[in-house]
Amino acid sequence: MICKSALSRGGQVALRRQGAAKLAQRGFAAVASPKASYEPTTIGGVKVASRDDNGPTTRLAVVAKAGTRYEPLPGLTVGLEEFAFKAANFASRRQNTTKRSALRITREAELLGGQLTSYHTREAFVLQASFLRDDLPYFTELLGEVLSQTRYTTHEYHEEVVNVIHEKQARLDAAAIALDAAHAVAFHTGLGAPLYPTANTPISSYLNESSVASFAAAAFTKANIAVVADGASDAGLTKWIDPFFRHVPAESQSALSATPSKYYGGEQRIATAGSNSVVIAFPGAALGASQPETAVLVGLLGGESTIKWSPGFSLLSKAVASAPGASSKATNFAYSDAGLLTIQVSGSASAVRKAAEESVKALKSIVDGGVSQENLVKAIAKAKFNLLSGSEVSGVGIVHAGANLIHGGKPLQVAETLKALEGVTGDKLKAAAKTLLEGKASVAAVGDLHVLPFAEELGLKRKILPSHHLNHSQTAAKMTFAWKAAGITYNRYLAVAARVVRRSLKDEKRLVAERRGLQELRFAKWEGGKQGELKNLADANAQAAVESAATGGTA
Amino acid sequence: MPVAPSLSPFVLRRPWLKQLLTPLAAWYANAAGYRQMGLKADDLLSEENEDVLKAISRLDAKENYDRIYRIRRATQLSLQQKILPRNEWTKPEEDTPYLSPILEQVYAENQEREALNTLTVLKKH
Repeated sequence: MICKSALSRGGQVALRRQGAAKLAQRGFAAVASPKASYEPTTIGGVKVASRDDNGPTTRLAVVAKAGTRYEPLPGLTVGLEEFAFKAANFASRRQNTTKRSALRITREAELLGGQLTSYHTREAFVLQASFLRDDLPYFTELLGEVLSQTRYTTHEYHEEVVNVIHEKQARLDAAAIALDAAHAVAFHTGLGAPLYPTANTPISSYLNESSVASFAAAAFTKANIAVVADGASDAGLTKWIDPFFRHVPAESQSALSATPSKYYGGEQRIATAGSNSVVIAFPGAALGASQPETAVLVGLLGGESTIKWSPGFSLLSKAVASAPGASSKATNFAYSDAGLLTIQVSGSASAVRKAAEESVKALKSIVDGGVSQENLVKAIAKAKFNLLSGSEVSGVGIVHAGANLIHGGKPLQVAETLKALEGVTGDKLKAAAKTLLEGKASVAAVGDLHVLPFAEELGLKRKILPSHHLNHSQTAAKMTFAWKAAGITYNRYLAVAARVVRRSLKDEKRLVAERRGLQELRFAKWEGGKQGELKNLADANAQAAVESAATGGTA
Repeated sequence: MPVAPSLSPFVLRRPWLKQLLTPLAAWYANAAGYRQMGLKADDLLSEENEDVLKAISRLDAKENYDRIYRIRRATQLSLQQKILPRNEWTKPEEDTPYLSPILEQVYAENQEREALNTLTVLKKH
């Protein structure tokens, strides 16, 4: 007897084949309809980006231009973050607004099934709420209140904020410290400020409830914030943002200043116990900059596995295969006016050393050997995925969209950028990698410094050598004399010098001097133990001068 | 309630009653004798209480120091069976509540926590 499933099996196989054929037609990493993922609007003076897919949940975030780059004193952004409401773990950590106590905010959010988080990046400070779609008014009001009416009380600072900061400082690992150090040597101030100050940073003299309050007053203004909504209806946003954000001032008296970023580069080594990390950084691509090579280079170097139970096949993951226990990944940190392309290596000390060396070799292999077509296709596909997933208004994209709005940038033009990515060739990549290696790198080593390598040992330049100065600096480095560098003998050098001096004299003196200069020196070149032809030095010099003049030389 | 039950809100709502009772209250505060030992009314709050301890921890450094100074001076006077010279007595305008507002805040926090812990949830949707 033939069972039913066996009969229908042919049909199933046929269906599957059809589907597979469709997939094959699509090609790899093809994008169905590339378009900008959100349209920026302004509601009641507040910049808003929203996307609505009519799902049951909503994520609403306020992104403020108050990241560590903009803090006037160290630690204020961190203070702001801890003074805002916090995610669910410890109810008592939430802070007060005028109408509602911290505890009430927590309990009410819990009753509505919402989640409240606050976090920051180097440029943006984010207050985020995730909740059921119907609760939009409640959470819009809450975010508006937190922005404009938080009381920065002394007792909460001492009883809660300080403790949380200490706990988070204790949890900082070598990778985070190394990334901060790399930013510090790359940008010095501004973007170089640490994302989270370490326990050794003396922030207690700068950080207190009143300094945080004045930072909040300067940072939380309508011009300085953007609201990003994922899954909220436009009608709802229009209706609720205006009344609930009314108390947020339009402008503040003390605007936050930010100097334009400048890349410096250098090396920093910090001894810590425990974990080890090396960060190798180069100037990268800024937000909205048209540098598709950098994005593809990051895709090519890769490092993070995209396949479960396998280290992956990107250049960096292959490079660190010889250093078990270490991991190495490439990232481009894009900021509003600068970027940093980093290779982050972490693991045990000896493995990190090996992996860092191999990672630099991998980068050099791009310069020396170029990129195979297969790898290039893979890298472009990866770069496309990174770009598209970052530009969606959900997950990380919320911060991207908000940062774009507060820095006055346009939403990402997806179609154009994708086209630019596809236009990257192996030669362009090679050139991009070469520029990186020839520029000044920023290297940070954190952990067991006895083992971790110096930048010099990794084969990275730490000084920028402009190409037209290259010859001079090389000769200076070998301590040779000018006449040797010019390729003439010492005798001829003296003759030239004497002739120049005599010719610079007035006529009557010159004649006397030239007569005095007559010499009767003979010389011979010894070769293979035998004396060569005996020559008059003056004649030889004169002859050489004539020859040199004929060929346009100086001697 | 940490602060003793009080009729003062009732009195303060009625100006005529307030006017009537103010001299009486002033006489009573003087007669209580703590001002003669340089104390303030809030120094008399019993410390053996979680809420009061929390409120004291929220005082700023100067207030906390002054409070301890007044209490030690009063203890010394009590041992010596003396009172302060008249010009060092606490003046009525100096006898301000510095601790009880904080104590009320702590108390309100606890009340709120208790209320939220015993909440009855009505489903809306």
